[in-house]
Amino acid sequence: MTILQANHRDEIDAIRARYTSPRSATLPLLYLAQDVYGHLSSEAIREVAEILDLPPTDVFEVVGFYTLYYSQPVGTWMIQVCDDVPCCYLGAEELVEALTHVLGVGEDQLTADGMFTVQRVKCLAACDRAPVVQANLDYLYDVTADKAEALLADLRARAADGKKRGVSGRFAEDFEVGSGGKLTHVSREEPYRARQFDSPSAGPSRGTKG
Amino acid sequence: MGLSEYIVMRELNHPAINNFEVYRRLGGWDAYANALKTKTPTEIIQVVKDAGLRGRGGAGFPTGVKWGFLPRGVFPRYLLCNCDESEPGTFNNHQIIDRNPHQMIEGVALSSFAIEANTAYIYMRGEFAGAALTLERAIDDAYKAGFLGKNILGSGYDLDMYVHRGAGAYICGEETALMESLEGKIGQPRLKPPFPAVAGLYGKPTIINNVETLANVPLIVERGAAWYRSHGTEKSPGTKCFSLSGHVNRPGNYELPFGVPLRELIDSPEYGGGMRGDRPVKIIIPGGASAPWLTAEHLDTLLDYESVAAAGSMLGSGAVIVLNDTVKAPHLAYKMDEFFKHESCGKCTPCREGNHWLVKVLHRLAAEGHGEPDDIKTLKGIYTQMEGNCFCLLGESAVMPIKSALHLFPEEFEAIIAASGHDIESINGRSVGVPVPMKRTRGRFG
Repeated sequence: MTILQANHRDEIDAIRARYTSPRSATLPLLYLAQDVYGHLSSEAIREVAEILDLPPTDVFEVVGFYTLYYSQPVGTWMIQVCDDVPCCYLGAEELVEALTHVLGVGEDQLTADGMFTVQRVKCLAACDRAPVVQANLDYLYDVTADKAEALLADLRARAADGKKRGVSGRFAEDFEVGSGGKLTHVSREEPYRARQFDSPSAGPSRGTKG
Repeated sequence: MGLSEYIVMRELNHPAINNFEVYRRLGGWDAYANALKTKTPTEIIQVVKDAGLRGRGGAGFPTGVKWGFLPRGVFPRYLLCNCDESEPGTFNNHQIIDRNPHQMIEGVALSSFAIEANTAYIYMRGEFAGAALTLERAIDDAYKAGFLGKNILGSGYDLDMYVHRGAGAYICGEETALMESLEGKIGQPRLKPPFPAVAGLYGKPTIINNVETLANVPLIVERGAAWYRSHGTEKSPGTKCFSLSGHVNRPGNYELPFGVPLRELIDSPEYGGGMRGDRPVKIIIPGGASAPWLTAEHLDTLLDYESVAAAGSMLGSGAVIVLNDTVKAPHLAYKMDEFFKHESCGKCTPCREGNHWLVKVLHRLAAEGHGEPDDIKTLKGIYTQMEGNCFCLLGESAVMPIKSALHLFPEEFEAIIAASGHDIESINGRSVGVPVPMKRTRGRFG
């Protein structure tokens, strides 16, 4: 039995029960492994392959293909900045520059304290609130470059308070198996809300959409 | 002329509709409960056909007709809801799930009943972790109320519904790549035929519909085809949630009947509220990144599938990106093709190599401002080799930005080349381009 199976047996069983084919559980199990280990090391990938009785190559290939699996260590906060159209014309470039300048590291590099990794990503499907950022897949809206320092301070404070999600966003799969064999959510997260990030010094934001 | 009653974005009429009890009080799940008791699956398919509902994901294919492609008597069948919304400018699925999730879930359930599927998966892009939680809770509510599970409401019909998160890949919105991803593989498209309706998920008959399409189904079944057809145009009935973004004062999702003029969407104080700083409109991308560009002369185009096609573009997913005169066409083509390069799955050569070279040349031109005498010819040569030769629509779509830019604004390319001078000797001393600063490319190694 692997470490993941020993500690997360119910969750693994519940994930597998959703699919006719065991291989379909690859993506959710990789999220689980990534949250447990912080990133997907070769050992972690082999462990997922073992649980699903798949050739390791099949799982390595998946990790290489999808952008949300990290095979190298990443920060406590994975800050992903959309640099696509239209974000790039509404301040995303300046934001990436500001974030990397304040942190003193390049894109995709881990800060010395292990707190942040800043990465450019493609469209995050919230173009009406550009520039858009995700921090551990939590949406942050209207993040212009002038808010960069306040954003980082806010994230540091949230990490210090323990109000941090895993880098995989696996809180969405936080459940237990109920009496009838059905999944019951036990997530203690607040319901998802559209968060608008405002620094204290920022001016009034645009009104709500719609 | 905004809608007085919305069909999909009903949170504008009923702000608390994302609460299950509120949704129930508004008659939510009644269409489904009644259908299970009094209607046959064939009758539901017929009403959706009669309503003329067209797929909102981009292709605009009639939904009821798609459902009719299922081979008779072959089971199990699967319904897949496509929520891989990832194309620049598209963001209405995100809002529908956030604000009106129960109607979307009811639409998935009703459609599953119509096609006689006992399992439905909602495939969400991996980044929608919060929205996945919203949907999982809505699904839980439906199980608790007895609308999902075994022998639902004593009808003998069973339905299980699950959320499956992808992990960051635009190509998984392509329906066969979506199924590959759901099967735990890398998201590379399958050869068609066989079409998913015949051999889809796990080789079984499968229907894939977009979030917005499915969110329309409950009210169509409840109120009938004639009511639905009282909205929109003859060929494009109903409403569309247009995602308006770019240099407008009020970007956002706006649900409008098909056939509203583009100018009204951009300028009306109810919608776009005009251009930021009153700068002029330069480029309009009316249907997501893969739509050919329009310009200010097309502002009177009506927003329905036929009119936008007649103007030389496509309505696609209804993602309208409006950009002002500060945007340079070569740079916009560069950013758009960088997206397609990043998202190319690497399966077929024209898309994998074509996008790589397009972006290499465009990066040098647009980001570094360095042109070479043959650049326009080179770019045309690359996209001509891609056009019509790619395995799926991703590669074909990547042709649109560069083709539009060269067609509409050739002088901007020429200006960069002219400003670079024609010092051929020094150009020959360097490689065709410098490495593009995009770390991760699925299609190529290194």
